[in-house]
Amino acid sequence: MYGGGNTFEPMKATGIENEDPQKLAEFEARIERGEKIEPHDWMPQLYRKQLIRMIEQHAHSEIIGALPEGTWITRAPGFKRKLALMAKVQDEVGHAQLLYSAAETLGKPREQMLDDLVSGKSKYSNIFNYPAFTWADSCFISWLVDAGAIVNQLANARGSYGPYCRALDRICAEESFHLKYGHHCVIHLATGTEKQREMMQAAINRWWGPMMHFFGPPDKASVHSEILMRWKVKMSSNDDQRNQFLDMYVPKIWELGFTIPDPNLKKNTETGKWEYTEPDWEEFKRVINGDGPCNAERLAVRRTAEERGRWVRKALLAPKTEYVTPLA
Amino acid sequence: MNKSLDPRVNRLNLPEGELVPKVPLDQFGTFEVFVQAKEGKEYRHEGIVHAPNRDMAFLFAKEQFSRRNTCVGIFVVETRNIYVTGFTEDKDNIYSHISDEYPEEGFTEQYEVFHLNKRGKQHEHIGSVPAKNHQHALALAKPEFIDGPPVYNIWVVKTSDILFTEEADKIIWDTLHEKKFRDAADYKAADKIKAFKERQQS
Repeated sequence: MYGGGNTFEPMKATGIENEDPQKLAEFEARIERGEKIEPHDWMPQLYRKQLIRMIEQHAHSEIIGALPEGTWITRAPGFKRKLALMAKVQDEVGHAQLLYSAAETLGKPREQMLDDLVSGKSKYSNIFNYPAFTWADSCFISWLVDAGAIVNQLANARGSYGPYCRALDRICAEESFHLKYGHHCVIHLATGTEKQREMMQAAINRWWGPMMHFFGPPDKASVHSEILMRWKVKMSSNDDQRNQFLDMYVPKIWELGFTIPDPNLKKNTETGKWEYTEPDWEEFKRVINGDGPCNAERLAVRRTAEERGRWVRKALLAPKTEYVTPLA
Repeated sequence: MNKSLDPRVNRLNLPEGELVPKVPLDQFGTFEVFVQAKEGKEYRHEGIVHAPNRDMAFLFAKEQFSRRNTCVGIFVVETRNIYVTGFTEDKDNIYSHISDEYPEEGFTEQYEVFHLNKRGKQHEHIGSVPAKNHQHALALAKPEFIDGPPVYNIWVVKTSDILFTEEADKIIWDTLHEKKFRDAADYKAADKIKAFKERQQS
């Protein structure tokens, strides 16, 4: 599970002023009643566009996210870890398929989404533009990046679009072992030799910045985000999700005797919120726009897979097949 | 490009330089996948796969929908072979809008009927009828199923358009045999943490 917060450039304004007021009212009433929106229902353009973008980015994050962890499959310590990591990476790619299908019900074909990923037009979770230098990095991803994604996904599973919620329910069920596996790996290093502890601490130091970026910059209050909250597209603010993550996982990191590279990190007992050094949002912007350590490699791997797999797809293609949007 | 940390990526000999967007591809068609979770339960719609044909669709569906959740059966049908009725709201039964009239064309064969009983849920298999065409199947399903709980939407599929598994192939669903490593219960570590904390304190 790899989805991140709402971290990407705001959409060019697609207003709701051109929508049919009566249909819009019925649509909003349905969401207000707690019903799901289904593919055949009327929906405003803004809702459709925002959901396609969100689900598509989530799907891209799943397949790109498989790359830094996949790096360690062949060198995972021992047969059991290899089996587990392979199974986990396989799950993530399966999750991408579920999510692409959900986005397709909104009218954007899967191949077009894959094209947009390879061309750099659509984004994926920024954290996967960083390299996994050691086995401990892979453990950090399995435990804490997954944990962050779970915070995000559990929120989104309560959203209003039926196919996305059903995909997320399935994804969350399949996730059950990923988080446990990741935690297990980290505990193993934490309770191991001095060298193992150092390796894990170094990984935490490397990944803390990207992890804080993971949930996206603080939301700016805007009419746009107010509408998306009301339509249950966005379920909680980036800062709230970050706070929830810190609340659940900082104590678990500390209990293993590790430190977190932020001297200002502490929970304010009065507000119940975590205080921390604001991460470097300039770096975040720079990396998301292509200038991270692994952006080029990640996309090149995807493109190579597309190019070298083309003859297989061509050989299999049934020329009479017409693409139709899937039903649900 | 820098040398990758992943030896497999280095073996790919990734080309240098700018990314060239791939040419637009023709699409594989989509197939709707139905899964039977347990013996005696209805087949329920679970999602879709993209595939060049029904056999490949079945393989992909098995990988996607029975890799983690066990099941006792899967069948797949091409999306465009599903006949879809309109949708209703509230307690309005879609069957009360189904016409008793139907075109006379076609030979009698079996059709499968799927109901959507609740908004936000998935279609479930309810039964089959022998009919000449999809509309005929709906007209025949009407007296048979109209008295149940209200139905919001109906899918009708010609049985011969569906790829089923044979009874003898049931063994293929035994997918999780000795795969405890896919199970959260296999990663218990509370004792280790406790022992670690005790060591820290002493």
